Formats: sequence, structure tokens, C-alpha cells
Amino acid sequence: MALPVLICDDSLLARKQVRKSLPESFDAEFQTAGNGLEALAILRAQEIGLVFLDLTMPELDGIGVLEAIKAESIDCFVIVISADIQPEMKKRVMELGALAFIHKPVNEDKLHSILKQYGLI
Amino acid sequence: MSTFGFSEEQRDCLQEIINVAMGLASDKLARFLNTFVHLQVPSIALVGASHIPAEFENRYQDTEAALVSQGFFGNEGVRGEAIVLYQMENAHKISALLGYEVGDVSEIEMLTDISSILTTTFLNGLADQIENSLSYSAPRVLSSVKGDLSSLLRSTSFHWEHALKVDISYQLVDHSFNCDMILLIPGEAVTNIQRILDRILEDY
Repeated sequence: MALPVLICDDSLLARKQVRKSLPESFDAEFQTAGNGLEALAILRAQEIGLVFLDLTMPELDGIGVLEAIKAESIDCFVIVISADIQPEMKKRVMELGALAFIHKPVNEDKLHSILKQYGLI
Repeated sequence: MSTFGFSEEQRDCLQEIINVAMGLASDKLARFLNTFVHLQVPSIALVGASHIPAEFENRYQDTEAALVSQGFFGNEGVRGEAIVLYQMENAHKISALLGYEVGDVSEIEMLTDISSILTTTFLNGLADQIENSLSYSAPRVLSSVKGDLSSLLRSTSFHWEHALKVDISYQLVDHSFNCDMILLIPGEAVTNIQRILDRILEDY
């Protein structure tokens, strides 16, 4: 069965880059969000298995989304894909329960190995 | 940017490339200053280079300022000059953080270091993403007393036709520190940039 996946990034290019970096064998049904608030609206209304989440976004940033997911016990995996690559940021993101922290522009091999590690492909 | 005929897709693409390059530069700066940098989405705009002095006049009018400029050259006609602008008040805060005395001669050295970190990391990050590689000329520091920054900007920018203005605002954990970065580029570079953006967009 296809995995419901949400790609959240304010950049159209970045959303396409994530999509293109995923293996063909990845059976998913995609939705997109352009900021954190849009992402939360989707996450509250539907069951989403996996979120690809950008950090620096207007309206509500990725940290805000992770905090809400934690506070509301929303059940989903989150892989953060970020241009902000400071070790301190990675630490915060992992403490908030993200599965992984990937630097932009997204590296295909890294993404595949994480998906494999968690049995998603 | 619309005045230069950038489509929404081209603008989005350039913004994302700049965001990634900014992320690299912030990480380097954070390591250099041994602190955490709150990253904001930089706002970008393409303007005529002749408008640059007026654009910055207000912000730097009543303050001592410094300007660090550095030329860059790459393949495919990518070339230009990167300028980082500081209010000296801000620069003093960073000096204090790094243990320099205010007004110390080496404060200029520090500004040169920070500017180099910012511009070369930023531009290398940008070049990587468009599969280019850049070389740089030695940085040049110009400091100004109150009010004459616009004449410095005028003399620096008059060789160039266009300017890509990247408003960077760095918020350090315990200190606020703002600077502006401007990339001055020749006329044909805009067309070159658009062609490169289209090539990237075609891949997706």
C-alpha cells in the first residue's frame, strides 16, 4: 500500500528536488505544503506516514512543526532536509524527535540509506 | 526582480540556491565566532547598480560604516564583485566577542576575515550548485566616517550595471549583528544567470 508522504518546503525547487531524489521503488502518495502552518493543517486532518521537512520557512518554521508534532503526539516519521546545517540545529532537531537530519541540496545516497534503515524502501 | 524579466520559477530557483549557500556561510561564521546563528530567509532583489548608493544611504547615514569588497571570476562569464557592508557599531560587538579592543587596528583584519568567510563560503556554495568554480581577488577594506558611505559605494559600483542585493541579517545568540551583502554583476551576467537557472529547472 502506498505510504502517505508530505513534502514541506517553501521552495518549489526544493520540493521537486526531494521528489526526484527518491527511488523509483518508493511507493508513496505525495502531498505538499509551502510552510509549517499548511503542514500542520494536513498532519492534523490526515494520517501521514512520513514528512520531509524544511526548517527555514515563513509563517511557521520547521522547529515549530516538530514542536507541535511532539506536543500533539502526531504519529509520523520526520526527515528534516535543511540549508541550516549548524551542529546545534541538528541537535535540536534530533531532540525533537526527527528521524534524520539531511543537508541541502539533498544527497540521494544519504536519503536512500536512511529510508532503507527504517524499512521505508 | 520582475523588472529584469525573471519568471516566478527562476526567482524561486535562485532564492533556494541562495538559501543553501547562506546556510553554508552561516555555519562557517558560527564556527568562527563559536556561537549559534539564527538563520533567516535572506531577501533578494536585482537592481540597477546606480541605485545602490541610494538604497543604502538611509541605513548607513548616521553611523560609521565599513565596506569590504572582493572580486570573483568563474566559467561561463560568471564574474562580479561581492561587497559586505557593516555598521561599525555592529562590528565592535563582534570584536568584543572575539576579544579585540574597540578601535584596535586588528579590528579591520577581523572584518576582512569575517567578510572573506561570508563571501567565499557563500559564493563557493552558489558555484557548486550551478557547477561552476570561482577564484577571488584579495579583499579590499574601505571604512567611512558618518555620511560618506554612499560616495564609497558610488565609486565601487559605478563600473557595474546590475547588482544582486542579498539582505543578510544575522542574529547571534546573545548579540544582534547585521550586515548587508551585495553582489555587483555585469549586464550580460543577468542573461547568463537566467540561462543557468533554466538549465537547473529543466532537470526537475
